[in-house]
Parts: sequence; structure tokens; C-alpha cells
Amino acid sequence: MERIYIFKRFERIWHWTQALLIIGMMATGFEIHGSYTLLGFARATTVHTTAAWALIALWVFAIFWHFTTGEWRQYIPTTENLTAMIRYYLTGIFSNAPHPFRQTQLRKHNPLQRLAYLGVKLFINPLIWASGLAYLYYNEINAAGYAIGLGSIALVHSIAAFLMLTFFIVHIYFATTGHTWSSHIKAMVTGWEEVEGDARSVP
Amino acid sequence: MKTRRILVTLLATGLAAASASALAYEGDWKRGRVYYRSVCTACHAAQAGGSIAPSEMTKAQWQAYLQADKHAKGKDSLKQYVGKPYRASIRAQNKAADKFADVPDEELFEDLKAFVIKGAKDGDAPASCS
Amino acid sequence: MKIRHLVLLAGFALASALPAGAAPAKLNTTADHSKFKELQQEFASGPEVTKACLGCHTEAASQVHRTKHWNWEFLNPANQQRLGKKNVINNFCISVPSNYAFCTSCHIGYGWKDGNFDFAAQENVDCLVCHDTTGAYKKLPGLAGHPPYKDTEVLPGSGKIVKATDLAKVAQKVGKTSRDTCGACHFFGGGGDGVKHGDMDSSLASPDKELDVHMDATGLDFTCGTCHKAASHDVAGSRYTPVARDTGGAHIRGKEDDSNPATCQSCHGETPHKKGEAAKLNDHTNVVACQTCHIPKIARGGVATKMSWDWSTAGQLSPEGKPLLKKDDKGRVIYDSKKGDFTLGENVEPEYMWFNGDITYTLLGDKVDKTDGITHINKVGGSATDGRSLIWPMKVFRGAQPYDPVNKTLVTPHTAGNDDTAYWKNFGWEKAIATGMKASGAPFSGQVDFIKTDMSWPITHMVAPKEAALGCADCHSRDGRLAKVGGVYIPGRDHDPLIDLIGWLMAGGALAGVIGHGALRLVRRKD
Repeated sequence: MERIYIFKRFERIWHWTQALLIIGMMATGFEIHGSYTLLGFARATTVHTTAAWALIALWVFAIFWHFTTGEWRQYIPTTENLTAMIRYYLTGIFSNAPHPFRQTQLRKHNPLQRLAYLGVKLFINPLIWASGLAYLYYNEINAAGYAIGLGSIALVHSIAAFLMLTFFIVHIYFATTGHTWSSHIKAMVTGWEEVEGDARSVP
Repeated sequence: MKTRRILVTLLATGLAAASASALAYEGDWKRGRVYYRSVCTACHAAQAGGSIAPSEMTKAQWQAYLQADKHAKGKDSLKQYVGKPYRASIRAQNKAADKFADVPDEELFEDLKAFVIKGAKDGDAPASCS
Repeated sequence: MKIRHLVLLAGFALASALPAGAAPAKLNTTADHSKFKELQQEFASGPEVTKACLGCHTEAASQVHRTKHWNWEFLNPANQQRLGKKNVINNFCISVPSNYAFCTSCHIGYGWKDGNFDFAAQENVDCLVCHDTTGAYKKLPGLAGHPPYKDTEVLPGSGKIVKATDLAKVAQKVGKTSRDTCGACHFFGGGGDGVKHGDMDSSLASPDKELDVHMDATGLDFTCGTCHKAASHDVAGSRYTPVARDTGGAHIRGKEDDSNPATCQSCHGETPHKKGEAAKLNDHTNVVACQTCHIPKIARGGVATKMSWDWSTAGQLSPEGKPLLKKDDKGRVIYDSKKGDFTLGENVEPEYMWFNGDITYTLLGDKVDKTDGITHINKVGGSATDGRSLIWPMKVFRGAQPYDPVNKTLVTPHTAGNDDTAYWKNFGWEKAIATGMKASGAPFSGQVDFIKTDMSWPITHMVAPKEAALGCADCHSRDGRLAKVGGVYIPGRDHDPLIDLIGWLMAGGALAGVIGHGALRLVRRKD
């Protein structure tokens, strides 16, 4: 058993802040959508809007961080080992088969994670971001002469929200698929991941 | 001596004018209405077991009541509740008392009188409490 | 020395006496009408008072002559409909012609007792009904706009005596219009306190802040004229051509602006909500009328408003042939043989609809058909897309009223009067309608049936304090106030059911999948 330092401090702060904001925004967002009543519409919109701005600010920092540190490369998709990963989650995981992917500081994410996170970053996030801003500035957009219905904006925003919710559910579950049920989660808290076998972290 | 006489005359006219002006005040029933409803009725409804509509008494009854200056079956003075000290004491909670805080007592009393006489059972426009 | 003393004394006395002596000067006017010789006389009638008024106010009557208040007639420039109280039909007391002497107790004139009233006579203008400050000037139904000149029974047989009007006293105390003077008619539209409008009744004569934030008698104390700013006796604001959406911004002194000064926006502009969280509310002002949120309920002052009126049940008499009067547990009349069944309401939630200010009346002669369902006495124009509409609160007054099933027209019954055809005396529709239609100059087949009608009244008074305005969730919820208003996407109310279904299936599927997967792991690990 070995421990390697995977997640740097900024990454962890970013991750957990983002997690908190997204959970809050999903809870308030679906309330605004009319799915249930929790805080009341007025407070839900206030919380949702405030969290949106906080998340946007966080994303700006995170994007900056990814590009200055080169960490963006972590999300370059690869097909290498992809089928092996799929096969592992479909069968191997149930028979304690060895994990086909070996985490290193340079390769934090397995090919499936890469694809999923890239999808979130390049598709779901921009969709939520753009439709959300359009939602907030609906009046100004229309005043500027772009006749977009609030209904269409809300539709796109809710599609993105459902995608995010689905990602969120799967993501949480996969957080339990590490060496132990909690090792991934611990890693996201402390930065240190327990890795099976004698893999050495590549400096 | 002549000067003196002129001065005395002047003085007399001045005083006469002053007293005439005091007598000349005529009750403003609308101001009375606001005070009646916002101060008298508000308190009666909340603390004194129900409000009293102007139309519950005749003009003569109101005249007599106001003349007697007895409030709460004679326990205290009615005028007291129109007076500046009373208004000052409730102005923080009562907008009417606040608005009319500086109206002379006699004027406000005349206002109230004008309203209840007008709104009396046999008045020009019998009035309810609200 | 003595003289000097006296001089000083006199000086003091004058100094203290004179300002007090000058004090009774009325500071809200430059003219004390009680000092005018012209008004210090006994007046035998209203027109005599008017003549005295016109002696100084030479142009007043001809100004009044040009107004709707005087003519009860208005040509709608948008659709050329001839409107005005003289011409329209409503579903309250229905119509004016043939009932002049009663209806014109709310006319600002004297003597309009039939179709031959002289609209050009200056002395027929009633100055006092608007300019009275004493509250002692009352025009009674049946007197064709005159106040009682001798002690008079309000309605024959009622036993309620109204004393002769002291015209000289009223004339000497004239002043500006007030909530009381406007209210003398407008609070009592439809034949009684609060009956017609729902947002106007006698509780507004001296309201508190909760009832009306502007007219609050201990606060801002607006009169009607504060908003309905009159010029040359023409009062701003119109029920026939209302401004539904005012985008002209707030009126500013010195800036020429002939737009309606009675709209909310003419003072508050279109972005009245302060910065911060409330600023989002400014994003609503191109969709929702101010009144929609700021008048959460109507008839809030303790006076009930009529919500419906069914004329078809009128005329039921007691076994002795006497008219009946039924009251509810609050003592309010809900059945009157003269008029039929009523329903009343206090603290009523208005109905909401797109409104652009266009109102089309169903007039006498317009074809109506029972099979059309409900006939709209006034059709309210508006849509989400015409760029002129906002979502407005309305009091929708529903009823059933007599019509001519052969000619297929509404009818104008003769209701009030002490003669042998007036409905309220004789309880016979055919005769009453024949008389009424003759007075209106319209054909009548002799057949009577009843037709369902409704009438919409835009709500704009009884503006509540901001704390009592509607909250977000009142509309932003699945079954909120605007549940029936189409053409607009309201977050919290609207959603795409298909997308929601797919979305929940997707998320639910994912959840089921991972739970299954996890369970399998758990089971296998135990093996």
C-alpha cells in the first residue's frame, strides 16, 4: 500500500466549494423550477443567484489555475485503457479484480473520468453558465433586440440542470469505488490517495 | 392726552382682534374624523371594549357629553385625551397623534366636535366608526 | 414718561395681538368665500348658487360643459364607439335613459330628468357637488341632480328624512375637491357603497395606510385630484380609454408632458424598486402592471363589493304580494325583489388578464346571443405579444340580465320611477322594457329572456403598503395568482413536462443504476 499526493490545496478547496455551491444551486434551482417548496421562491432565487455569482468567480479562478499550472492536460481524452475501465466497472469490481488504471500526479483521472469531466467542463458547465446568465439578464437581452423567450432559456437551463444532477449522482457513487469505500473521498479531503500495489508516484 | 387716547384705542383693538381670532376658529370635521378614528376608535376598539360610532348618539347627546368633559364614566377628563401631552405620549405608536402633535388643544377639540355633531344620529351625515 | 410706557405697552400688545389677529387667514386659499357678498344670501336652488359662482368664475361652466362628467358621453377615438354613462349598458342597474331622475343624482348638473335636458345652460352646472367641504351637500335619487330644498324622504316610504340643504352655508365654504366629494358618487357606483368597483368605497374617505398607502389620512393624505390632476375642470384618467402601459417615465416639472398623470409610472417611473434584491422586481415592469402586486386584494376597507347580480330571479313577491329582502348573516342584502340575487365579497382576490387599454363595449343594438355563452359587456383587449399590454388585476362582475331574444339585443329597462311601468314599482319586465327601449329609441320585440354577462373593471385603487404587496411565490408557483394567464413563461409556474419527465427518468435511472451497482459490490464483497 502506498500513498501518493494527488490533489493540491487549491484543487481541493475548489472542488469542495464547487460541490457546496452546486448542491445548493440544485436544491434551490429545482425549487425555482417549481418541483417542490423548500426555502420559498424569493429566498431560493436569492440563494441561487448569489451562489451562481460565487460559482462563476470560482470557475474563473479554476480556469486560470488550470491553464497556468498546465493541469488542463489532465482532461485530454484518451481511449487507452477505456474498454478495460468499462470492463472493470461492469465485472472486475465485483470480484476484487485489480484496478486497470494507475493513478499518478500526472494522470490523476482514469480515462472514464477524463471523458466525464471533460463533458462536464465543455458541455454541461457552459450550457448552465450561458443559459443561467441569459436567465438573469433576460430583460436586457430582449431590450437589446434579441427576442429570446424566457421559456426557451429556462428549457435549456433545466436540461443542463438535469444533466448536472445525473452527473452528480454518478460522480458521488464513483467516489466510493476506490481502494476502499472512502479512499477517494479521503483523497479529495487530504490530497493523499491510497494506491494498491507498489506503484510509485512519478515525480 | 390725545396720544394716550389713541394708544388706548389701539391697544383695545389689538386685544379685541386677538380674542376674536380665538373665537373665529371653526372645527375642521375632516381633521376631527381622522383623530376620532385613529385615536379614539383605535384605543376604544383595542382596550375599552369596542368602538362607539358618532351615529350612536344625537347631536344633543354629543353636545352634553363634550360639555361635561367626563371620560370613562367620569373617571377622567375627556379633554385630556385631546391634549398635547396625551398626543405626545402616544405619538410614537399613533400616526394621527403624531401628525396633529402641534395642533392647539382647543382647535382639535373643536375638530372632534364638528365631526361627531356632523356624524351624529340626527347629524348631516351619520357616521360609523370606520 | 407715562406716555412712553404706554407706547411700549401698546407696542407689545399689538406685537402679540396682530400676528394672532392675522392667524385665521386660511393658508390653503387666497379667497375666503364666506366673505363674498354674492354668497351672503338665501339661495332657493342650486342653479341660483351656480349663477353666483359664475359671477366671478366666468369660464367655469363652459369648461365643465366640455367634460365627460357633464355630457356623460364619450366618443372612443380608437373604435368610434359612442360611450359615456348616457349610452353604455352595464350589468348593474343596466342603463340610464328612462331612469334619468334617479341616475342623475350623480350628474354634476341640475335638472336632467329626461331626454330634453339643456346641456348648454350654464346655471345647470352643479359647482357644489365637487367643491363642497362641509359634507352636508347631498343629491338624492329621484331629484334629477338637485339636493333637497325642503326636508325630503330619501325614498318614498323609507321614513329616512334628509333635511333641506343649507345652500348658503355650503356655498360659503366651497373649496378644493376631496376624497369625500369625488367619493359622493364614485364610492357609490352601482347603486350603493362599494357595489361597483371593489377598489373604491366609502372606506377611502379617511383610510389608513394599510388600506391605501397614498390616501392614508394620517400620512400622505392624497386626494383623488393628487393623481387625477384636473386642468380646466377636465379630470385626468378614463375608464373608456385607460392607459394600461405607461412607458413615458415619471413626469417632471418643466418637462412638457400631456400623458395621463394618474398612472403609477407618471410618478414612480418604470424602475421604482430600489437597488439590491428588490431591483429584480424592475425586470417585471414590462410584463406586470404595478397594481397586480401592489393591490393584493380589493374591498379591504370593511365595505363589501358586489361580485355578481342575477336579474333573472327578480320579482319574487311574498304571498301578500310584497317585495322581499333577504340578508346574509352580516346583514348585507343578497336578494331584493326589485333586483334579484347578489353575491358580495370582501378582501377579494382580483382576476388577472393581459390588458392593453382597449375596451370594446357591447352597446344597445349590438347582436347578442345566449348560445354564445357569456356576453362581455366590455371586451378587454390585450395579449402577451402586442407590446402594449401588461397583466392587470380586474374585478370581473358576472351576472344575468334581461335581453330581447327575438331582436337579439340587450335591453334598457325602465327601473326607477313612480309610474305604472317602472320595474321597481310594478315588477313587470315587458312593460318596463317597452318603456325603457322607447326612451332609448330602440326596437323591442316584447319578448324577454335573460342572458349571462360579465364586465371587467381594471383595479387601480387601494394600493397596499409595500410590506403587504404580493410575494414572489404568489405567482411563481404551480397554482398561483397568474395560473390562468397565458403567453408568458413564469418560472415556478411553467415547465416543459416532457423535459421534466426525461430529466427525472435520467437522474432516477442513474440513481437506480448506482444503487444496484453498489448493492452488487456489497453482496460480492461479503462472499
